Amino acid sequence: MPVHPDNLLIDLLDRVARRDEAALKALYEQTAPKLYGLALRVVGQRDRAEDVLQETFLQVWRTAADYRASLSPPMAWLGLIVRSRALDLLRRHSAERSHLTDELDDTLADTLAGDSPNPLDTHLASEQAWALHQCITQLEKRQREVVSLAYLRDLSHGELAAQLKLPLGTVKTWIRRGLDQLRTCMTRFA
Amino acid sequence: MDLRQHPELLDRLASAYALGTLRGGARRRFEAMAREQAPVRAAALIWQSRIASLNELQTAAEPATAVWTRIDNLVQADQAAQAMAQARTPARAPRALADWWRNLALWRSAAASGLAVAVIAVSASVMLRDRLGSQIAGLQAQLQATPQVGYVAVLTDAQSAASMLVTFDPKARRLTLQRVGDYREADDRSLQLWALPPGAPPQSLGVLGRDKLLRLVAGEADVQRSPTLAISLEPRGGVPSERGPTGPVLFKGAVIQPQL
Repeated sequence: MPVHPDNLLIDLLDRVARRDEAALKALYEQTAPKLYGLALRVVGQRDRAEDVLQETFLQVWRTAADYRASLSPPMAWLGLIVRSRALDLLRRHSAERSHLTDELDDTLADTLAGDSPNPLDTHLASEQAWALHQCITQLEKRQREVVSLAYLRDLSHGELAAQLKLPLGTVKTWIRRGLDQLRTCMTRFA
Repeated sequence: MDLRQHPELLDRLASAYALGTLRGGARRRFEAMAREQAPVRAAALIWQSRIASLNELQTAAEPATAVWTRIDNLVQADQAAQAMAQARTPARAPRALADWWRNLALWRSAAASGLAVAVIAVSASVMLRDRLGSQIAGLQAQLQATPQVGYVAVLTDAQSAASMLVTFDPKARRLTLQRVGDYREADDRSLQLWALPPGAPPQSLGVLGRDKLLRLVAGEADVQRSPTLAISLEPRGGVPSERGPTGPVLFKGAVIQPQL
């Protein structure tokens, strides 16, 4: 019987908690591309996303013993660390934040223009993330982008409107409708 | 208002709270209700974990290979610092020290075994063995040219790359250190050389200057009874020997008595 990826990752986290360096390397090999993709989405620059990835794995090295108490799927726990480190880094560079003019934001602009999809990736995703995936893919592409970005970059309506160069009313409407649809859909998975 | 009477409103507020778009006074009021009413708190937690699933759905990308190297460096420094801290704790010294020696495979004594065995002891892979082998061959040639050299050590960094060659001339009581890697300590730091005698605390052999070639004075007994030498990163000017190393171990290696 194939081992569920969650069980493999949980086993690695348990070993990292016992200061097993080989387990940390194996965990990195399994999860780094996925976590780096998330970091890149939040901070928008490769070198900064790499700093985030580095800080994340050092934090995992030091705090893996706390993982079990979180009662979370392993990728959910790791994802929260990445987002939190990435937001810290964004705040440290907040002066430069207003001109995030990077590769990622070009992709984002394309997505909002409806040219290229920003496909969601369910590799390693927990069951709960699968459920969200089912629901969020039902949103219109631009709505999905705005909802995702509000969370990933911790942006208010006003900040989203400024970063995406959209009218404030449009952003508010998209977020409200997006959340309404998600709520209706997610009750099926409750 | 008691949100428990209004499940749909509760759900709407909880989802906006989790997404982060519920801001200002509305956010603070919602937080206050969540602290007081468990069902409100539960709704918030459910939506937080649902929304956080967005973290898991982002497209993967390939980080530069240097990122793992950086992480590994920091982890090695962390491990070494912990090993040093354990070795310095007097109450636990005998047991902790024993564990410490077991953990540090690279530090195993190769003194009695001659160069060939030493090469195997300090290298984990064939490639590494070849690389170290040629370095040791170079050292052997150097040793033949300078027969007064009594002991030698190749100190390597966490990636097992040679960083410092140490030779000892017992007659002149002189340790010669040659930097071979490109490591340079910051201006406010110094490298400090330690002898690590088994069953005894680390003993400082001296603080390194910034030159490529460094000379320190040491007694033969200090070198002979220490199968391992290590270099730690310390505040500029080094730390007193009795305090032991305070910074991370950057380089370490076995002392070899060449059988020439």
